[in-house]
Amino acid sequence: MPSDEPAREAAIDGAAPPPPRAADAVLECRDLHHRYLGRFPALAGVDLTVARGERVALLGANGCGKSTLLKVLDGLLFADRGSYQAFGQAVTEDHLEDEQFSRGFRSRIGFIFQNSDAQVFSPTVRDELAFGPLNMGLAQESVEARVADTLAMLEIEELADRAPYQLSGGQKKRVAIASVLVMNPEVLLFDEPTAALDPRTQQWLMELIVELGRAGKTIVLATHDLDSLHLLADRCQVFGEDHTILAEGRPGDVLGDRELLLAANLVHDHPHLHASEVPHHRHVHDAGHHHAPPG
Amino acid sequence: MHIPDGYLSPQTCAVMYGATVPFWVVAGRRVRKVVKNRYVPLLALGAAYCFLVMMFNVPIPDGTTAHAVGGVLVAVLLGPWAAVIAVSTALLIQAFFFGDGGVLAYGANCVNMAIVMPFVGYAVYRALARGTSLTSARRPLAAGFGAYVGINAAALCAAVEFGLQPDLFYKTSASGAKVPLYAPFHLSQTVPTMLLAHLLVAGVVDLVLTAGVVAYLQRANLPVLRINHDAVPETDADLPAPRKIGLRGALIGMVGTLLLVPLGLLASGTAFGEDGPRDLDLEKYGLRAVPAGLSKYSDWWSHSLLPGYDFKDGDHPSVGYYASALVGTILIAAVVIGSFKLAHALRRRDDAPDAPDALDEDRGAAVEQPAAAR
Amino acid sequence: MTTRTVPSGRVAPDWLVQSEVGLCPCGCIGKRKKGSFLAKTLDGASHLLRQAMSSEDVAGQPGLLQRLDARVKLVTLVGLLVVAAFVRTIPVLIGVYALTIVLAWASRLSIAFFVKRVWLFVPIFTGIVVLPATLNLITPGTIVVPLGTWFGHQLGVTSEGLHGAAIIVMRVAVSISLVVLLTLTTPWNRLLAGLRALFVPKMFVLVLGMAYRYLFYLLGSVSDMYTARKSRTVRTDTEVASGRRFVAASAGALFGKAHAMSEEVYLAMVSRGYNGDTRTLRPARLSGLDGLWVAACLGLGLLVIGCDRAFG
Repeated sequence: MPSDEPAREAAIDGAAPPPPRAADAVLECRDLHHRYLGRFPALAGVDLTVARGERVALLGANGCGKSTLLKVLDGLLFADRGSYQAFGQAVTEDHLEDEQFSRGFRSRIGFIFQNSDAQVFSPTVRDELAFGPLNMGLAQESVEARVADTLAMLEIEELADRAPYQLSGGQKKRVAIASVLVMNPEVLLFDEPTAALDPRTQQWLMELIVELGRAGKTIVLATHDLDSLHLLADRCQVFGEDHTILAEGRPGDVLGDRELLLAANLVHDHPHLHASEVPHHRHVHDAGHHHAPPG
Repeated sequence: MHIPDGYLSPQTCAVMYGATVPFWVVAGRRVRKVVKNRYVPLLALGAAYCFLVMMFNVPIPDGTTAHAVGGVLVAVLLGPWAAVIAVSTALLIQAFFFGDGGVLAYGANCVNMAIVMPFVGYAVYRALARGTSLTSARRPLAAGFGAYVGINAAALCAAVEFGLQPDLFYKTSASGAKVPLYAPFHLSQTVPTMLLAHLLVAGVVDLVLTAGVVAYLQRANLPVLRINHDAVPETDADLPAPRKIGLRGALIGMVGTLLLVPLGLLASGTAFGEDGPRDLDLEKYGLRAVPAGLSKYSDWWSHSLLPGYDFKDGDHPSVGYYASALVGTILIAAVVIGSFKLAHALRRRDDAPDAPDALDEDRGAAVEQPAAAR
Repeated sequence: MTTRTVPSGRVAPDWLVQSEVGLCPCGCIGKRKKGSFLAKTLDGASHLLRQAMSSEDVAGQPGLLQRLDARVKLVTLVGLLVVAAFVRTIPVLIGVYALTIVLAWASRLSIAFFVKRVWLFVPIFTGIVVLPATLNLITPGTIVVPLGTWFGHQLGVTSEGLHGAAIIVMRVAVSISLVVLLTLTTPWNRLLAGLRALFVPKMFVLVLGMAYRYLFYLLGSVSDMYTARKSRTVRTDTEVASGRRFVAASAGALFGKAHAMSEEVYLAMVSRGYNGDTRTLRPARLSGLDGLWVAACLGLGLLVIGCDRAFG
């Protein structure tokens, strides 16, 4: 829908979003520290607050801690130090042992992994979608109804009885997303959603995320793809290679701050040859290839 | 090692199923307790790994096939009960989709490869790796060797299972000869061929694979090894100091052994190659007379104090044994201690004449200063 | 090592910037080298695996067996296997085998494919393995094909030996045919659900399902690793020794990679509420056809045993 894009951009760039108020906060992290295998630092003092209905992008190069933070947000990983609250309640390993808390938590937050292969593990697509609702304890008929609706919504009905491992990358992604959406979560976490997707599927996915945002879902996505940031997010948090948050702001502001982007290893500078000389221009590669003025 | 349908009689199959079902039931319950939910995917991975490993097989005449299994690796990583599930799963997929191993014979195949192999292999591994740290170089070797022993135990069981068939289940033909209804090879054929193939080839492959994976995990992903080895210290530095036996312990051990000495009297006959001319059994070796050299030199030394560990008259053999043991021990101790003292004295003389005696504790302070000055 | 500055300011060694002749100047291009055992086995295995396990196309056909409930099929299959195991005469075994062909035809399976699928693997293996048993050394009796003498003893193929070998091979063929009929006409998830309904413990069904999933991933990884290595291998004469080293080293690395993925899978499951219980969608209902089938199998079983007794 190319004709909608300018309107959307204008709507987003118009008013600056207010900072999230404590009462609105649906996810709240304070001073998270975590090391993998006890040795490799992943988070070194990270704070994050996400308001209801907000769309937050986590930016940063690979290995800076974005995926780890998302896993903490989904209660899959528990930070060595720091606190995390979701929907007003503390999320700890012990709390999640309680079946009722766990059920409530898991059905309200959904996580779409970077690697779709890991996320689609059932024998057929239909079973894959049914996995979540069945675990939530829904009755047979309502599960079947939800699965049918979700299949229709994501236009994968013809794949319903196929085995997921036979599908293409784009199809697997759709199935992965469907398997999370069928649980109707309030919060959606995406880890590098557009990585390794063909252009058409990328476009489809971005439109879907925008639509979900408009439907009131809270979205947190981790990405190092800067091209579509202004469409997908209201607010950005930039991770540095030291596993802390370097800066925060609106997509337009963050993308305009080239020093910040370089420091976070989100863009690179490379030399550019004019005739036979060797001057250095810095480049920001986005959709096209723009020359910034020399400097 | 997969036994196809048609090799085993239904009676044998039923017995084998009867043996496996209790193990499955127990494994199903125990694994949930021991292997927490988060490691179930690892278990499934183990099953897939075993499947892949078992795919590379070669047929053996007089037997079935030879291949590595990988079950001991799963046992090392997640415990033997988890290995029961992993290997049974791999065998099920093979039986259903590849006809590798029969459906009726599934019970027997599980007994061999999913029960006998992991448990035997795991026991060997534990025995060999006892007391070492998690990163010690002995662990991969112990795991590999456990796999080797385990797979051969399994091969032996399989060989026995179908080696017994022709003797138990046959029909008589018109000419009165026995026609085997199921596997036609007898024990004397199946056992050597199956064991040979596994001792020489399949066992070695499994050893290499198991040791390789364990060594890799030690370097790259120690937490995975940690799952089944909770109480094992991580590096050699963390090992508890080995208990010193000490002089008292050694003396107790020696006295105990001394008391057991007369047990030797129970053995009849003489050791091989130690026959004196009187004891030589001429007929057995095809001789007509004692060889000249043997009779000439056998009594060359006749000044033994206690010949044959006994008194000269040979009246009280047990007392003679004790006496011999005591005398011998004292003599050896004297020689050893004497040699040490002599060597020590000689070494002292070789060093600087005024070198401080390290054993001398009286001159403790004096010892330090010359050492520091040097 | 001389270097040249290229515009980036970084230096590249000479040999990287010069072109090298990759083709052998002596003109030996075109001489083929034998493929390695490992490569052939991997390729073959990968192909076979995909073929064996994707029963989508056949399982979707409206044939006889496809319409039966998975649990019923499992139980009757095992029953027929037991019956075949008790048969002692060759004519009856052949009859049972013919029956499986009829069933294959009734289920819209291509007969050629069915026969190839059954015979290409294990019965031929078994035939090779039991060939020594036809000799009088192993199965004594009346010699029908004399093969000369050996150290003064008569050597030959006995009729009893042939008889025994034929029984085994036929039995193996029958049992594999029955199993293949089951797996080709039942989608995998139905098979799993059927097992669960037959009181197989939850843990097993769960592990079975996931292991099935991992097989493809592992096989793909192994092929990838092998292909990547092949693309870096220039000389092939040292392939055997280094091949073994490669296998040992890559076994560990493969395990590590697969383990990382298994962790991800587990997290994905937990994220959607997995807590150890497995629930499957839509336990199937039994129909009249299932009842008919069970009755037919019972009758058939009795008939087969009766014929067997009559013949032998």
